[in-house]
Amino acid sequence: MSVNLNDVLCTLQEEQVRLKMKLQELQQLRRERRDPPKDKVKWKIPFPVPEVPLVFRGHTKQGREVPKSLVSNLRVCCPLPGSSALVTFDDPKVAEQVLRQKEHKIDMEECRLRVQVQSLELPRVTTIQVSSQTDGQRVLVSGFPVGLKLSEEELLDKLEIFFGKSRNGGGDVETRELLQGSVMLGFAKEEVAQHLCQIGQFRVPLGGQQVSLKVSPYMSGKIQKAEIKFQPVPRSVLVLNIPDVLDSQELHDILEIHFQKPTRGGGEVESLTVTPPGQQGLAVFSAESS
Amino acid sequence: MEQGIMEAYRDDRKQVCKEHQLDEGFVKDEQNEGLTDEIIKENRQLYEEIQKLEAELQEAARDFQIKEDIPDIKMNFTSVENPENDSQCLNVSCSFQVSSQIPYELQNGQALITFEKEEVAQNIITMGKHHVQIEDVNLEVTAQPVPLNPGVRFQVHVEVSTVKINVTGIPDELPEDQMRDKLELSFCRSRNGGGEVESVDYDKPSRSAVITFVEAGVVDKILKKKDYPLHINQRCHRVTVSPYIEKHLKKYQVFSGMAKRTVLLTGIKGIQMDEETVEDLIGIHFQRQKNGGGEVEVVKCSLCQPYIAYFEEETNGIV
Repeated sequence: MSVNLNDVLCTLQEEQVRLKMKLQELQQLRRERRDPPKDKVKWKIPFPVPEVPLVFRGHTKQGREVPKSLVSNLRVCCPLPGSSALVTFDDPKVAEQVLRQKEHKIDMEECRLRVQVQSLELPRVTTIQVSSQTDGQRVLVSGFPVGLKLSEEELLDKLEIFFGKSRNGGGDVETRELLQGSVMLGFAKEEVAQHLCQIGQFRVPLGGQQVSLKVSPYMSGKIQKAEIKFQPVPRSVLVLNIPDVLDSQELHDILEIHFQKPTRGGGEVESLTVTPPGQQGLAVFSAESS
Repeated sequence: MEQGIMEAYRDDRKQVCKEHQLDEGFVKDEQNEGLTDEIIKENRQLYEEIQKLEAELQEAARDFQIKEDIPDIKMNFTSVENPENDSQCLNVSCSFQVSSQIPYELQNGQALITFEKEEVAQNIITMGKHHVQIEDVNLEVTAQPVPLNPGVRFQVHVEVSTVKINVTGIPDELPEDQMRDKLELSFCRSRNGGGEVESVDYDKPSRSAVITFVEAGVVDKILKKKDYPLHINQRCHRVTVSPYIEKHLKKYQVFSGMAKRTVLLTGIKGIQMDEETVEDLIGIHFQRQKNGGGEVEVVKCSLCQPYIAYFEEETNGIV
């Protein structure tokens, strides 16, 4: 294929225009950072970040304190062994009382079931410190049109395929994650990530259309400190080593009767679940809604 | 040109040739060389400058530190599910979401007004200047979007193993293999709270080890105390034991907040009234359709002291 000198020059000149524009943008950002105009934000990040809609609901603080972060969706999952049961009482004092005896003897018609009782200690993060850093191997893919009819898996797969090809400027993808409105891709080689950021814009086939996507550097987080304390769940009690003599339904009823008896230190039971012998369960705890 | 740039420039030439399927001979031709060389050199210099600036600005963006003390939130039993994978069977996991609360420093003479509908807020901003009657003063108030700093959001995942423990303070007395055996022997002694050991991962230089047990439950017993007896040749050393915990972040994202329903009003000056009354009057003005407004949710005004106003994520109910 014979190539015209003009073609080569054109391409190079186009690239120069693009580079000059980018340089100007960055210089402007640097100026703004040093002397922020009063009505603008303190500083901007030199690459696109997804927009998240925010609203003011009236929460204010007097003076100039450092803002706090919001913690939400607190969830703890605890594996339950076979031949056990989880009893949750209405009153935490009842749970305390039940736990005073390590062993309980549950009366049945012909015999007694001997079981152990234990409190459930759950981990709680008391302090968290997270810092931000640039990650040379990761990029942020953004610019997805609204209403793209693809599932998370489909979207991630298509992006991994496209950006995994060296002919698109990509390479082996190691990690991928769907964020709100954008996707993070992590590459095995830092050069690949950098090269993709340099190119910047891509036309990617998604859901039957050619979509114009932007690729930019990704800031990732690192946990500097996370202090963890263990605390018992206030109203729940774990019943262990239940002899395998009854089926689950019967066992459920017998246990409930036993633990409701005030004479046995029990009280009103909010819920009771049985994990049959040889199986494993997963108890899910979430934050009390205020 | 410096060494680095020279090399990069040579690479660029190769790259240009590759991209245009030229053979290097084409470019080496004197006339051609002159023209393309010049541009390639310039582009390389521009590129290097951009790299430097980007690095500088990214340094600045490192201000995203989150330091939080998390208050004691009571946990309640929700449900029992089937574990989906091995990790769920072998760990007690704790996860939660953290999002920056984006602040806006409300200065004297400014107010924030949140409308029920986004279109109303946008309309108020488009209209720009508004004349609001506050008692006997006719104020010219300017409406603009709220400039907000970026923030971060992420998920924290903590996994506490039910079958592994950390052991530290192991004396450096024996060769690696032997110490590993001593560890296994001590930790499988049920009279000390131990149990059958699946594996020992011993790191001699750091004097620590990770012990994996076959059954869950042993870990709880051992961790009731802070140390554990390790028997070496008739003597007993107490080694420190602690839970084996893995922590990581997911969905870490720097984001830019956009206030869609909240508007910044400026120019509220020269009024001798209390903030609450002014807020009410502003609210009434902007509630009127003839003033371009609509249903108002919140008004906050600063007349004598600055406030920090917190912006939260829109959860649901965006119109």
